Amino acid sequence: MMDRTKPPQTPALPIYKLPPVFETALPNGLSILLIEDHRFPMATARLGFQAGSKYDPAPLAGSLSEAAAALLIEGTEGRTAHQIADETAAIGGSLHASSSPDHLLLAASALSENLPQLLNLVADVALHAGFPEEEIELYKRNRAQELLSQRAEASFQADEKFAELLFAPHPYSRQDPTLETIEKLDRAALAGFRDRTLSPNNAVLVLLGALPPRERALDLIAAEFGAWQSRESPPPPPARFPEPSRSIVLVDRPGSVQADIRIGRLAVPRDHPSYFPLLVGNAILGGGTSSRIFANIREKKGYAYDAHSAAYPLQESGSFAVVTQVRNEVLAEAIQALLDEMHQIGAQPVSEEELDTARNYLSGVFAIRLETQDGLAGQIAAVKLLGLPLDYLEQYTRRVRAVSQEGILAAAAGYMDPQPASIVVVGDASQILAPLQSFGKVQVEQAK
Amino acid sequence: MTPLRIPILRHTLPNGLRAIFSPDNAVPVVTVYIVYGVGARAEEPGRTGFAHLFEHMMFQGSENAPKGSHFKLVESNGGSLNGSTHPDYTDYFEVLPSNKLALGLWLEADRMRALAINAANLDNQREAVKQERRLSFDNQPYATAIVDRWPQLAFHNWQSSHSLIGSFEDLEAATVEDVSRFFKTHYAPNNAVLVVSGDIQVPQARELVETYFGDIPSQPPAVAPDLGEPERTEPRLETYRDPLAKVPALVVGYPGPARRSPDYNALVMLDLLLTGGDSSRFHQNLVKGNKSVIQYAANLGWPFAGPSDYLDPGLYAMYLLYNPAFTGAQILAQVEEQIARVWKEGLDAGELERARTHLLAGRIQGLQSSHARASLLGRYELLDGDPGWVNTECDAFLAVTAAQIQSAAQRYCDPQRRTALDIQPAASEEGE
Repeated sequence: MMDRTKPPQTPALPIYKLPPVFETALPNGLSILLIEDHRFPMATARLGFQAGSKYDPAPLAGSLSEAAAALLIEGTEGRTAHQIADETAAIGGSLHASSSPDHLLLAASALSENLPQLLNLVADVALHAGFPEEEIELYKRNRAQELLSQRAEASFQADEKFAELLFAPHPYSRQDPTLETIEKLDRAALAGFRDRTLSPNNAVLVLLGALPPRERALDLIAAEFGAWQSRESPPPPPARFPEPSRSIVLVDRPGSVQADIRIGRLAVPRDHPSYFPLLVGNAILGGGTSSRIFANIREKKGYAYDAHSAAYPLQESGSFAVVTQVRNEVLAEAIQALLDEMHQIGAQPVSEEELDTARNYLSGVFAIRLETQDGLAGQIAAVKLLGLPLDYLEQYTRRVRAVSQEGILAAAAGYMDPQPASIVVVGDASQILAPLQSFGKVQVEQAK
Repeated sequence: MTPLRIPILRHTLPNGLRAIFSPDNAVPVVTVYIVYGVGARAEEPGRTGFAHLFEHMMFQGSENAPKGSHFKLVESNGGSLNGSTHPDYTDYFEVLPSNKLALGLWLEADRMRALAINAANLDNQREAVKQERRLSFDNQPYATAIVDRWPQLAFHNWQSSHSLIGSFEDLEAATVEDVSRFFKTHYAPNNAVLVVSGDIQVPQARELVETYFGDIPSQPPAVAPDLGEPERTEPRLETYRDPLAKVPALVVGYPGPARRSPDYNALVMLDLLLTGGDSSRFHQNLVKGNKSVIQYAANLGWPFAGPSDYLDPGLYAMYLLYNPAFTGAQILAQVEEQIARVWKEGLDAGELERARTHLLAGRIQGLQSSHARASLLGRYELLDGDPGWVNTECDAFLAVTAAQIQSAAQRYCDPQRRTALDIQPAASEEGE
């Protein structure tokens, strides 16, 4: 008879094996990665560029790369936006582009029998984006309304201010547009962006799914992308970042029934030696439902529904933050509890049990994310765009498991120590300014 | 033309627990999914938000898995987990490395058998739920209008019209006895469906399920709530002033058809034609042509459900964020014009074929993870009594003709039975 009073004994975590990745390049410099996955009759493509918002010129900070991504699919020299939409739907496809601080990523998929048409569409929007005036005007008007709508959310205001405190004057400090930078967008700027940054030697093409034999797939790719001219790509802005220092900003949002809190500081990119210790330390501090912050702030004290921490890597830097939203009356207690937790993880070694839980958690959920074709294609594109070694995904689990208690102490001292951390609170100043002032001088700003 | 054939093996335990196994050994991941046949529409007056509060209680520990250990055991074994409350069901899952299957089953069985219900856990989760309400609703633009006001406007029967997230007063009033009674009535094996999908060997998985769940006693079936809804005979349009909103939005809804009826299939296809992707009529004619709508969302069952968990009485409803140069009445007229054009003028060449291909591809995309497959299988067993709809519903959707779509658009999207809620930014009026 089985003992029901104890959790069942199960074997150690299985090792995740990545499907084989075939890597090559076209003579024009386009980097190509092919991955066969015949579980589903779909093909999925990612075409990524070193063309994220950090390359935006100052007058268009936060707006140019984002607008270019949105408008790529809104008309080419040979197709109207309507034609692109209809052709995409007809092949069982999807076609979208998005911009992050580091990259512009075109994501597309279709039923695998339609792979030639899919590649033709992807190549057309990447090589021949037309940026029609009417589409630009509509985009600007709707993006301005959308921005107003986003700013109605406290979390958006908090993220915006937090990035500014951490990264300014580096362009990572302006990841979102403003009404002014949206207004300044025009066809010349967008065409200039296309001509400067959308070049094959600045791009990575990932093709994954039920693909035809390799020679055939490469022929299709060469037919669509082979004539694309390489050219010099703009360098990224200098990777210079400010020294972390304590500042407290209260963004006044009258009528807020709770306060949205971010406490954090500059951290590190994925290829930094401290990244994996920080990742595991973060998981213990606030990365999941068995983390310290979740257990303390939500489950024990009942201050918040959401209480977590996050280490967010960028290509040339990164951030670490604890995040929560609490009712106004417990603001000071909640901030103190978060500061204490941040301090504690750098003061005392984490327990073996905590370390084991975090390492297994990170390894396991990493494999779960690779279950779908979109998940796998996205991860492979990210690895290549970040310039990480191609075995990064397979090595991930090993590197997570190699993190030690001492490693976490060092990473916590370097990147989680609350002493020089910035504090951003979005909420009703008439309710929470006084308690916030118990942590130091508070700069009050109006919500945008 | 069915794109995928999901394997389905059904096995009902003597205590009434319906178990479904769906093996797929490509990736070493397994999902344990359990859905209980109780949701917010089964709540009683004075106890709004109870189904959701109870969902929180399910993570507060059980007889052999003390408070906090559910989260810890899943995460320390490389898995993820969650639960969610819906109008007609509440579901829970663990996604785990496949050699950890026994752990997921043990945890679910332990809390189905003997949940730890006490005052300390209840008080703590009451606070967490109140914070969740402040975060996700009271402090968000549009959310209060959609969650609290929209159901009151669109439904007459209290079971459907009350706030599904609940009021602070009702949450305060909940007692340990209420929670215990709710557990005994609704969280019984005969009111649940268990799905195990992903990298499994069916005989072993079945043996584990029998071992862990086999001797949990069944309970007398709960009385199903009366969801009967009177016929709507006149249109309603109300304006809601939202102090947090910066951009106006319009919600429009029509009483929908019976689940799995021919009209249900037709409305799924109609919605695809109107709102599915960039090639849809709303995108091409309202966002692009009229430049009046900025963003939209629509579904049979919106905002709490989609076609997969729509249950009548329900709505075909949509949400449109719009350009403030237009009025809500103008947007409503444009929406109704788009729908009327479908039944008056029919479909364009290629339009239906594109919608069908879009549907097919979306289906293949949507079934790639073991969690997605488990969730559909479990809910179709619960709502339809047949998980096989996962494999057959696509054929039913693809067989819908243009004439059926036109007919359903005319009969269901009837302006006389339409409810609309215009959400206007309130800040300017109040001089803030």
